[in-house]
Amino acid sequence: MSKNKNPFTFLMKTNFKSLPLFIVCLVILLIASLVVVLRVQKRTVQREIYHQGIKQILQINSAGTDNIKNKSVKKFFKLKAHNKYNDKLYNFEFIVGFDRSNPNQEFKGQLQGKKYSSLHDLAAQALAEKKAVMQLNRGNPPHTVISLPLEDNQVGIVVKNITTRTAPTPWLGIILIIMLAVAAFFLTPEPWKIIVTNSIGALGFGMLASGYRLAPHGSLLEILGNSPVGFTRGIFPPIWLITSLFFIGTGILYQRGKIDKLITTIKSNRIAYTYVLPAMLGMGLLVLLPFAIGLGLGFFNHCNGEFQFIGIDNFVDILSGGGTSLGNPLNFYFTLGVTLLWTLLNVFLHVSIGLSLALILKDPLLKMKSVYRVLLIIPWAMPNYITALMWKGMFQQQYGAINIILDNIGIGGISWFSTFWPAFMANVITNTWLGFPFMMVVSLGALQSIPSSLYEAAEVDGASKWQQFRNITLPLLRPALFPAIVLGSIWTFNMFNIIYLVSGGEPGGSTDILITEAYQWAFKRGERYGLAAAYAILIFVVLIIYTRITNKLTKAAEDM
Amino acid sequence: MQGSSSFKIIIKHLFLIIFTLATLYPVMMVIRKSFSPGNTFQRSLNPIPEKVTLQHYEDVITKTDSSGRFLFFRQLLNSIVVALVTTIIGLFLASTAAYAFSRFRFAGRGIGLNMFLIVQMFPATLLMIPLYVIMDKLNLLNSIAGLVLVYSTTAIPFCVWMLKGYFDTIPREIEEAAWIDGATRFGMFWRVVLPLSKPALAVTALFSFMTAWNEYILAETFLNEETAYTLPVMLQHYVGSYSTSWGKFAAGSVMVSLPVMFIFYILQKNLVSGLTAGGVKG
Repeated sequence: MSKNKNPFTFLMKTNFKSLPLFIVCLVILLIASLVVVLRVQKRTVQREIYHQGIKQILQINSAGTDNIKNKSVKKFFKLKAHNKYNDKLYNFEFIVGFDRSNPNQEFKGQLQGKKYSSLHDLAAQALAEKKAVMQLNRGNPPHTVISLPLEDNQVGIVVKNITTRTAPTPWLGIILIIMLAVAAFFLTPEPWKIIVTNSIGALGFGMLASGYRLAPHGSLLEILGNSPVGFTRGIFPPIWLITSLFFIGTGILYQRGKIDKLITTIKSNRIAYTYVLPAMLGMGLLVLLPFAIGLGLGFFNHCNGEFQFIGIDNFVDILSGGGTSLGNPLNFYFTLGVTLLWTLLNVFLHVSIGLSLALILKDPLLKMKSVYRVLLIIPWAMPNYITALMWKGMFQQQYGAINIILDNIGIGGISWFSTFWPAFMANVITNTWLGFPFMMVVSLGALQSIPSSLYEAAEVDGASKWQQFRNITLPLLRPALFPAIVLGSIWTFNMFNIIYLVSGGEPGGSTDILITEAYQWAFKRGERYGLAAAYAILIFVVLIIYTRITNKLTKAAEDM
Repeated sequence: MQGSSSFKIIIKHLFLIIFTLATLYPVMMVIRKSFSPGNTFQRSLNPIPEKVTLQHYEDVITKTDSSGRFLFFRQLLNSIVVALVTTIIGLFLASTAAYAFSRFRFAGRGIGLNMFLIVQMFPATLLMIPLYVIMDKLNLLNSIAGLVLVYSTTAIPFCVWMLKGYFDTIPREIEEAAWIDGATRFGMFWRVVLPLSKPALAVTALFSFMTAWNEYILAETFLNEETAYTLPVMLQHYVGSYSTSWGKFAAGSVMVSLPVMFIFYILQKNLVSGLTAGGVKG
């Protein structure tokens, strides 16, 4: 291209088929980046101002006390701070909250033995030493909470009414990046055109959006970008990474001709896609998006409202057993073992009970079949949380029906939830009660589809009942039963309600299965959302492997 | 020969009767509790209450909040609206998608079908945190509409697979005949395929209805006003961490379970054919 003397000849050589795509990409990029830039910058500036301001407190006025809800005392402080970055003065209003359980205790600022005369010095020091955590609440008006542990009490400093200034949008930087991208588009030879353009756009906007300063403080580039946003850590680099990967990905897809192909297939299958679209939209927003967020959360640590990117630490923590021995209920492999045992035992009982009942009910001479069927379906129709609580009552040590029966037989009542096996069996019994009707109905349907002439022929040939069952019933049941078993085992694997409501993991979390363990981490043991999400991902992986194997098995069975 | 087979039948009846009674025993105990006075269990195995009282039912139905509004009827209405709308939306979304998966061969079909299967494996309890954030952003927290959206989408994957299996069993020739008679694509779907798949649709409807009627964890998380609760949340609160009113719980359980049981009873004939036609084809 450099050989061309005419500067406009390259226009003639441009593949115009790719131009609309390029423009679409760029527009999406621009809008996405702007949204992110504006939002992120606003937050970042608030953080920055706070960080800067609190280090140089000029003036503090105590503005009185106030009784608020729950009788905890809050003190107002007014604070003037100097932000060295933009040479401006900011007014903060502080509310100091005292521990609710101990409202009379005077605030005493102490950090590592050193006394601080003002709370703000203390907070600043605590922040600097990472002893305190700051979190921004996007209320109205936005306020920041600093929480720091002091003498066993969590003390929160609420900073509100921060006089904020939204950082100016780095228009010059945006224009610069667009220019770079456009130049790259026209100057790069064809095989690399889109991928280079997208990469430049993605990396550039990503950097802006992520709050990375394009240039050192005071340099020309900084003035061009006019970006007052300092180097920030935390959640922003992942955003940068994701946007970059997205646009580089589209570049690669285009490169391999996939996008053109996609457009043509969309056009040719228009009707099919319109039928699928409503379901897909709903699924996308309410299942896949949370799913993706859940996947992402597995790589973060959640602490006091802040998410911190920690890579694969959660997974390492779980898979290495977290420093616990194999026999410890908190050990991943222990829980996995319990889960597998739980699933196997349940599915085995569901299928064997369901199938036996179906075989009995199949008898053409049997009267009142439909009565039995309706009555036996009742456990399935009952809401399963009611089932769980009902059985919990049955297993109750003093008044529970089961212990009374055991007493009457002479075995004596058991304390069901104080050792592992009884607690585990209580869960299994409850879930078996709940699950066999489904298998029974599926088996009934499948048995109906087996022509009776087969049995008549077998009868003529002198086959015994058992031989008939082995050679006719079982093989013909398999195609119907197999998907039901796969589905049933997935449901059982993730059967949250029963475990959570019957044994609740007692004793000591040993009867928890993976899903309830994950729930415990998220909601009972200190909001460790990241760890819980990592558990969820591992559950997902186990199930994927499981269905892979069963798929292979079904294929093999079909080929037989 | 005749004698031995009638003997077998009697054995079978005997077994079925014992098994059914054993199965229904816990349910009978709940019913007993709902009619007996007091809020704790009695140490008794008799499923028939000694003293019958309607006190628990009365308590549950006439419960009011601090400003004197009746809660039960509001919560009942919430549950009914949520379950019905979920059923309608779920049926619409699942049947259209299943029809496309069954009748069209298009790029992404395999991926789509697999996705519907895989999505079932992701533990729903843990979608809760992200879902909460999304519902918050959409301003749908503490509203019935939000619950309907979530329920109808979570019920979709199972329903799509089941309906697709059933649609597969309907011969294409019927549609082709309709096509020759001048039916549109939608006409074929609406007037030919849907009426032929009533059993499967009934099961799908039942499944969506049950999902919405019985779901408790998401409702508990998303709803925080007593007047916006659905019945399961209300029930749960009777035996929550602050109170154990087993009597009221039992009475509530009976009232919550009855509609589902009734619908199950109506649709149970379809259950066998609807489930297995889908199952056989997988």
